[in-house]
This record gives sequence, structure tokens and C-alpha cells, in this order.
Amino acid sequence: MSEQESLSIIHEMIQRVKSDYHESGTSALLWGSVVGIAGIVSFLERHFGFSIGFDIWLIVLLAIIPQVIIAIREGKKKKFKSYTDIATDAVWITFGITIFGLIFYGNIVPGATEHIISGEGWGLVKHFSSGNQPDEKISPFIPSLGSVFLLIYAFPTLVTGITEKCRPMVIGAVICYILFVISCFTVSEYDMLFAGIAGIAAWLIPGFILRKNYLKARRAHV
Amino acid sequence: MFKELDPILHSQLRLAVMSLLISVKEADFTFIREKTNATAGNLSVQVQKLKEAGYIEVVKKFKDNYPLTTCKITKQGIIAFEQYVKNLQSYLGN
Repeated sequence: MSEQESLSIIHEMIQRVKSDYHESGTSALLWGSVVGIAGIVSFLERHFGFSIGFDIWLIVLLAIIPQVIIAIREGKKKKFKSYTDIATDAVWITFGITIFGLIFYGNIVPGATEHIISGEGWGLVKHFSSGNQPDEKISPFIPSLGSVFLLIYAFPTLVTGITEKCRPMVIGAVICYILFVISCFTVSEYDMLFAGIAGIAAWLIPGFILRKNYLKARRAHV
Repeated sequence: MFKELDPILHSQLRLAVMSLLISVKEADFTFIREKTNATAGNLSVQVQKLKEAGYIEVVKKFKDNYPLTTCKITKQGIIAFEQYVKNLQSYLGN
């Protein structure tokens, strides 16, 4: 075997592994649909003043079940594990923990703050600058927490987009960053709409594209 | 001066296996067989040689009641592969 032949074997084998790597897009489709639906429905509820009878964001919690099934099934099917897989998995696991941390923060901090400040003997009051209405006692709240969610959505999406050279995900992440900036200047009702748009742009659309490419590659391998 | 190429790696199939394993964390035996177009018997022999040289780790387990062999490059294997490529470059550069 000549040195040139050795080099071409190395090159060819690395290329063959690369060509075999295709993300199925199933998880992106799942989370894109769930966050897209939850965001848009909760925006519509708040905007048009109706209720569907339960918190639509619960579907995000329920989506963990199919996600676990997808992860197990795809793990069984995979004939090799790439370093990109490991890095991407780590980023999305960290993202999941961060999101639940933020949900916990959003649910606990206002109540805890109210408890602390009432213990200190003071409270928050809404004062109308016109002077036409009396002051109202209000509970502490976190302003524009939805903006922080948009910022967090962008992070793993951009990492995955760059490492897996997935342009639609990079675009999705950029849309999340743009929505984050806009959401800093809008009322919280729109944060829900932005979350829905972010879910569709960052995961659902890239998910469809990844799925299409995956099926095309699978047909080519048959 | 030319450095001698590692005889363990300077073989078509063994080099192909190492080139596959250098780019992934681990791979199934069937995947390596598909990508190298080798026969199961020949691949087993070459995999065994790489294992004996300490260049790869071979783990045999069961998945859904079927035997599954997984191969993974070792640190020693990575060093040997990198050295092989360096030596190869010295040949080709001159």
C-alpha cells in the first residue's frame, strides 16, 4: 500500500462516517409543535379573554414522555455514536434543566418575595399617576420573564445549528434573539406569542427540513 | 529522514477501521463492516489485531437478545494514528 493510498483510505472513511450522519428531526418536530401551540394558544387566551379550561403549557410537561421514548428508540437504532451527538445531548439536557429552573424561579420567587417583604412590614402598591384611581396593593412579579425564555431558547438552537451545520436552526436562533429584543419593549401578553413563533422558527421548521433530509438519505441508503 | 510507518496501521482494512473509529466515539461491528465493505471473518481478525495492539477496545454485549459488538478507539490508538498521519505527511511532503 502506497502512502497516497493510505491517505485516501483515511479521507474516504472519515467522509463515509460524515455522510451517514443524519439527524431524524423527530425531537425538533415534537418540541416545535408543543411550544408553538402552547405559545399561540396562551396568547389568544389572553388577547381575546377566553380560557380553554387548563394551562396549555402543561403539554410541554407531557411532551417529556414521547421525548424519552424517541431518545430510547433512536439510541437503539444508532450504529455509532459521534462526538457531536454527545456534545449536542449535553447542551439540550442543560437546556432542559435550565428551563425547569426558570419555571421554578417564575413560580416560586414572587410568592417568596411577598412573604419576605410582608415579614419586613412593607408591600408593593400600584400607584396611578393620573390620581383618578386609588392605589392598589399588588403582589410581586417578575417583569418580562418570557424574554428570558426566548434568550434561553436561542442558546441550544444556535449551538446545534453551528455544530451540525444546520442553517435553518441558526436562522431559528437568530429569530429567537430578535424576538427577545422586541419582547423587552412589549407587554407580557406578546411574550406568549413570541414564544410560539420562536418554537415554530427554531424547532418546527428546522425539524421538517431535517426530517425531509433524513428520509431522503434513508431512501438513498436502501 | 523518513520514519517507519506503524505496521499495525499500515494495512488497508486496519487503517480503514482506525480512520472510522477516530471520527466517532464508538461504533457497532456491523457499521464498521458496512462502511469498510469487509467480510465479517476478515474484519474480526483485523479488529482482534488492533485490540491486541491496544489501539481499540472491543465490548461484547447483548441488545434485544442479539449479540452486539462495539468498538472504540483507545488513547494509545489515537496517539498511534496521529503519529501514523504525521509520518505519512513527511513521506508525502518530500
